[in-house]
Amino acid sequence: MNEIKIKSKNLNVYYGEKQALFDVNLDLNEKEVTALIGPSGCGKSTFIRCINRMNDVIDICKVSGNIEIDGVEINDKNLDVVSLRERVGMVFQKPNPFPKSIYDNISYGPKIHGKGETKSELDEIVENSLKKAALWEEVKDRLDEPGTGLSGGQQQRLCIARAISVNPEVILMDEPCSALDPIATAKIEELIDELKKTYTIVIVTHSMAQAVRVSQKTGFFHLGKLIEVGKTEKIFKNPDNKMTQDYITGRFG
Amino acid sequence: MSNEHTVKSYEEELRYLIDSVIKMGSLTESQLVDSMDAIIKVDKDSIDKIIKSDDEINKFRSKIDTQIMTLLVKRAPMAIDLRETISSLKISQDLERIGDLSKSNAKKVKPLPLDLPEELLGNLKRLGELVIKQLNDVLDSYVNKNYDKAKEVWEKDEQVDDLTYIAMESVIDFLSKDKKNLDFSTHLIFATKNLERAGDHITNIAESICFLIKGEYLKGSRPKGKVIEK
Repeated sequence: MNEIKIKSKNLNVYYGEKQALFDVNLDLNEKEVTALIGPSGCGKSTFIRCINRMNDVIDICKVSGNIEIDGVEINDKNLDVVSLRERVGMVFQKPNPFPKSIYDNISYGPKIHGKGETKSELDEIVENSLKKAALWEEVKDRLDEPGTGLSGGQQQRLCIARAISVNPEVILMDEPCSALDPIATAKIEELIDELKKTYTIVIVTHSMAQAVRVSQKTGFFHLGKLIEVGKTEKIFKNPDNKMTQDYITGRFG
Repeated sequence: MSNEHTVKSYEEELRYLIDSVIKMGSLTESQLVDSMDAIIKVDKDSIDKIIKSDDEINKFRSKIDTQIMTLLVKRAPMAIDLRETISSLKISQDLERIGDLSKSNAKKVKPLPLDLPEELLGNLKRLGELVIKQLNDVLDSYVNKNYDKAKEVWEKDEQVDDLTYIAMESVIDFLSKDKKNLDFSTHLIFATKNLERAGDHITNIAESICFLIKGEYLKGSRPKGKVIEK
């Protein structure tokens, strides 16, 4: 098993009066894919949004407990959130390219993070990112066309390319395939398999089959609590917790 | 299974699959009982009926295969449902093989003389009764999802091995007295061996049931009797 990259300890999250996460203790391994499953509203998205402090933008949100990346607490007020988000990229449910060219979608991040000072350096980053996201061959002759003109699956790969353009360590994916057709989904899943060689990936998914296909570790959340976490194979063949079994076999949800 | 599925038809499909395995098991048990009866009573009239009942068992096997394939593509079963599906596949394979062995034993009745001595059949009869009891117990443990009972059957196969050895010895003793007995004695030796093999399939079923219930295979090797050592 790989080393622990992200460690959450007694993590509690509140949206105003409502508590969304209860004492979540979860270790995520480096260069591995961890899938988070559970019914809607169970806290899995809230959990991954803690990893790059996306919850900071919600005024009523309060976080207590710890999240460490490489042993360093990220909830520290002195920590630079911009550089945290450079290290922890995110891909969302619906592809959300900037209303700019394919090239600009990729080069935007490196530019604001001060990477790629010359045009040729940026060209290289754009090409490498698109290649890593398995999109280069499809768009290399039309880099100046708008990103929004691509198909849904291509747009999602563009968003993945944008996330990896700043060379992050962690990629968070919140239901990245829920708006895609099966072929586009298969391409993303194949990509995830490739990306895990370089990055630590956390994916929230409602597809049990997808969790089995892409992840090495799975955590099951219910009503804000982490009910069970373990090797994906174990969770889907013989989970320890009855609630996990009832959920994955479709007995409640 | 505990709670019911949100999708009722999924629940029904699983139930239907389990029912098919239970029915196939009951048919296989009847066929084994009939084939043993036919040997012990040297009842040549029942041979055709027993051979025919094997077709029924084979049909069940095909039906169960189809049900399993449909379940896999439609439901992509997980956890207990996955184990239920996989164990149905394995159990039905073992039941089919037991059916083949009973059929083979029924065919062996044809060349037997009508006046077989008691000394020859006594041990074979005891072996048959034990194998029938083992099959009955293992099917009971499947119906009631009883782990301990399935494990007991698995352990008891040692006795099947020992009785096989004893039954073989008595046939060989009989044969050695007069070479004229060679032909039908050979058939009895094969019939004895068939019962021992049926016992092995029953232990496979017991293993599948233990896996189905606990999600892990029985650890260590099964206790083995004399016939295996030889």
